[in-house]
Amino acid sequence: MKKLILTLTIIGLISALALAYIYQITAPLIEGEEALARKKAVLDVLPESDSYTEVVKNGIIFYEGNVEGEVAMSVSGGGFNGEIKLMIGANPFEGKIYKITVLNHSETPGLGSKITDDEFTSIFAGKPFGKYQVVKRPVSNPMEVEAISGATISSQAVTDIISDAVNRMRLAYGGGA
Amino acid sequence: MGFLRDFTNGLWNENPTFRIVIGMCPTLAITNQAINGLVMGLATTFVLLASEIVVSLIKKLVPNEVRIPSYVVIIATFVTFVDYFLKAFLPDVAAALSLFIPLIVVNCIILGRAEAFASKNPVKNSIADALGMGLGFTWALVLLSVIREFLGSGSVFGFRLLGNWYPRMTIMLLPAGAFISLGLLMGVMNLISRKKSGKEVN
Repeated sequence: MKKLILTLTIIGLISALALAYIYQITAPLIEGEEALARKKAVLDVLPESDSYTEVVKNGIIFYEGNVEGEVAMSVSGGGFNGEIKLMIGANPFEGKIYKITVLNHSETPGLGSKITDDEFTSIFAGKPFGKYQVVKRPVSNPMEVEAISGATISSQAVTDIISDAVNRMRLAYGGGA
Repeated sequence: MGFLRDFTNGLWNENPTFRIVIGMCPTLAITNQAINGLVMGLATTFVLLASEIVVSLIKKLVPNEVRIPSYVVIIATFVTFVDYFLKAFLPDVAAALSLFIPLIVVNCIILGRAEAFASKNPVKNSIADALGMGLGFTWALVLLSVIREFLGSGSVFGFRLLGNWYPRMTIMLLPAGAFISLGLLMGVMNLISRKKSGKEVN
């Protein structure tokens, strides 16, 4: 009995020490990688800014660009398969979206994964803030978003996430235009 | 003695994917892109090699009753190491493989070889076995993912081979495509083996 406990304790101890050591080496690299990826994603959705500062408003982190009025936020929500994570760049004072990008998703390859295509994300560029409606026909007004054929649920999910995000951004920046 | 035989064993005769048919979860899930198949195969090879060496070294020190938990802790340690390493140096690939790297812990190839081979054989042979099994797993994953990526996206390792005229077979990227291509490949493998053994008889 004693030997059993001793064996597992020693193995656990050596394993923990080794992992602590490896963690110390890789953690700063992993953090740097994540920060770099975030920076790229933020600047990608802000048309003019080349740097940004993090600001917390209403408990939400916003990335304010160095050019007046450019604000980005990272949001996520449920998709068809799993979480969809988006970066949204917008001007809350004019109530206008600049650009959205999909950071992460696990939608069906070839169907739902088309939400990452420019063809779909560019629909939102220039849209005024508000509640968007997914339609399965060519759009007739700026609040409508044409669904990707075969991926209505994914299109709906992205649209809902954006509607909710711009609403929160509008509230955080004092009611908007 | 037997070093070469232990090595080639995993490559063909007891190939984990096509012959023993274990480790199916990552095989079916991540082989929709060639790069994923390659990295998954090499990550598994590393964990297999490191775990088999350690298990073989301590086989006389570990009491029989706590054998399995000891092996699992050893395997989990190396898997966590690979997980950190990929996140730090290959973040894109790590994101694509996401959950399947930590899940190498429960890949039965590793625990299976630690228990069936490394715990009974010298270090030298365990290294041969780990390399053979690991590379056997790797080539199977790469072959499967190259076929699926080619038919499903018209590219191989991300390089466009077929132009826009190619009607992409989306099904090959979905789980169903994994079953279809794995099944056909296994059939081909069996055919080759049968031909080979048939010749020996004649």
